Amino acid sequence: MFIGTDRLTHTYMPGTPYAKKALDNVSFEIKQGGFALVIGRSGSGKSTLIQHLNGLLKPTSGRVFFDGHDLGQKGNELLKIRRKIGLVFQMPEELFFSETIFDEIAFAPRNLGLEETEVQTRVIEALEEVGMEAEQFIDRHPFQLSAGQKRMVALAAVLSLRPEVLILDEPTAGLDHSGQKILFKLLASLNKKKNMTFIICTHHLDQVAALADQVLVLQEGRLVMDGFPQKIFGRRSQLIKMGLSPPVTAEIMADLAERGLDVRSDIFNLEDARAEINRLRRHRVK
Amino acid sequence: MVNRSEIIIEAKDLAYQYTGEEEASSPALSGVNISVHRGEYIALIGPNGSGKTTLLKLFNALLVPTNGEVRVEGISTFDEENILSIRRHCGMIFQNPDNQLVATTVEEDIAFGLENLTLPSAEIQKRVGQVSSVLGLQDLLQQAPHMLSGGEKQRVAIAGVLAMQPGCILMDEPTAMLDPAGRNDVLQTVQHLNSEQGLAVVHVTHFPEEAVMADRVVVLEDGRLVAQGSPKEILGNTSLLHGLGLQSTAAVELASLLRQDGFDLPEGIITNRELVNSICSLEQTD
Ligand SMILES: Nc1ncnc2c1ncn2[C@@H]1O[C@H](COP(=O)(O)OP(=O)(O)OP(=O)(O)O)[C@@H](O)[C@H]1O
Ligand SMILES: Nc1ncnc2c1ncn2[C@@H]1O[C@H](COP(=O)(O)OP(=O)(O)O)[C@@H](O)[C@H]1O
Ligand SMILES: [Mg+2]
Ligand SMILES: [Mg+2]
Repeated sequence: MFIGTDRLTHTYMPGTPYAKKALDNVSFEIKQGGFALVIGRSGSGKSTLIQHLNGLLKPTSGRVFFDGHDLGQKGNELLKIRRKIGLVFQMPEELFFSETIFDEIAFAPRNLGLEETEVQTRVIEALEEVGMEAEQFIDRHPFQLSAGQKRMVALAAVLSLRPEVLILDEPTAGLDHSGQKILFKLLASLNKKKNMTFIICTHHLDQVAALADQVLVLQEGRLVMDGFPQKIFGRRSQLIKMGLSPPVTAEIMADLAERGLDVRSDIFNLEDARAEINRLRRHRVK
Repeated sequence: MVNRSEIIIEAKDLAYQYTGEEEASSPALSGVNISVHRGEYIALIGPNGSGKTTLLKLFNALLVPTNGEVRVEGISTFDEENILSIRRHCGMIFQNPDNQLVATTVEEDIAFGLENLTLPSAEIQKRVGQVSSVLGLQDLLQQAPHMLSGGEKQRVAIAGVLAMQPGCILMDEPTAMLDPAGRNDVLQTVQHLNSEQGLAVVHVTHFPEEAVMADRVVVLEDGRLVAQGSPKEILGNTSLLHGLGLQSTAAVELASLLRQDGFDLPEGIITNRELVNSICSLEQTD
């Protein structure tokens, strides 16, 4: 097992009148080099789950594994393991604490004890990876950025650690289209070339669905579906009933199918939708 | 009836430069002329860093212009004595639902702004009652705001603004953090307030689907107003949007790909339904 949980349960404020079981007996596994999406309504437990995956929260019961380690059993070693698992929070910009963007991104590599020249290389590389011109930004204060720019800096701050696993909580919120394209191109390339493992919580599946090879669905703290994207997004009516929405291209294709056209609806991006509609026409002409 | 020729917000030759921004860098906004009419729904779009948030902040006097002038219901935002009245005329909703709720119950939160107006408590009671019934919050009034879902939190924030009886509501990516159900919830609420109560809306969004419901779409690029028009004009103009690194709705994008493939689709398709209908009628006439 690379990364995953075994019968993980988490209760916030146990033993008080406010006790809240946010995760209930959740077990799953993600393979090294996998690309998993975690979806579910707000409050379903997504953020709670991923905070366990890098040891920020401790299970009430059950276990969390990473690369042969039981995260709950590790004392001093936990810190070392956690460096391999990068986590970008839902509102990362609220956690900025440095005076300059350079220092914000340099913080983690400096913490690793790297030489300052290596730190500098990593900062500049990370900014370039997220499509921001280093020279224009490194000396600015992190708060002097637009919402989307802050998002990208937060991502760069984690990339500078060069983690093995990258966990992102709602990474596209606030990013414009080209920012999203840069983000997904970057994730796809890190996934393919460096075999980096991804775990992404998101409500916006339109672009990311095509990259994923696994989808986990949470409902009120329980893992109710786990499988290939085709399989999960194929259960359209079930997802909609849960308050979730399949990728928009899948919706368009399903509407066409409902109107009697012979098209597949497990389609997650524009190019595939285009090809499928064209196939239908060619089919008819023949 | 609302008089749609009446102007609520008028901005003339507006420019804004953040202090501390490098001399060389272009101002966050420059040369912007725009008016918001009573009852009008404006969608404000543009790449990250193009000046959308800055424009909203200038509208409700969180910032004052470096050049030019903003008038809200005739009052200049330079007029410090009337800042409260400007904020009452046009209230603001932010992206993160967690940052704008301050009180311990929903009811107190909705009343918060009213208390500052030193209204008689009977009037406060009355208004809280009114807005909570309009927004369907009657059953949540005694709840703690942090216990609500994201969509509910945004509705409470909207109720707080609405209780001030504003002519206009400014919303900065109000659905970016919400799940699909919460997003629908907020969008339907705002549409209802716009069409039934004549509330003017300025809605910043990165979702082209959310611009479809506007009367007018305004496009910013690099601090300048570069285009405006009806949703069909702006969302149908893929070369404009692509030139800015933006994308239109999935229906527009797919229709334009299919036209390249020789599908004889009519112009003016912007919604899924329009696309599906057009494709089906082509198939029938084949
Ligand atoms: N407090 C600040 N100090 C200095 N510069 C700022 C500040 N806030 C924003 N800027 C800069 O002003 C420009 C416009 O920012 P603004 O936040 O208005 O953009 P936006 O269109 O809302 O972007 P986004 O879609 O990312 O939210 C950007 O170049 C940004 O870096
Ligand atoms: N720090 C906390 N204290 C108490 N309850 C919490 C805390 N964080 C989350 N919860 C509760 O746990 C449940 C799951 O929340 P969360 O993991 O944030 O869901 P999601 O990320 O899917 O929106 C919700 O009911 C939420 O209210
Ligand atoms: Mg969350
Ligand atoms: Mg903004």
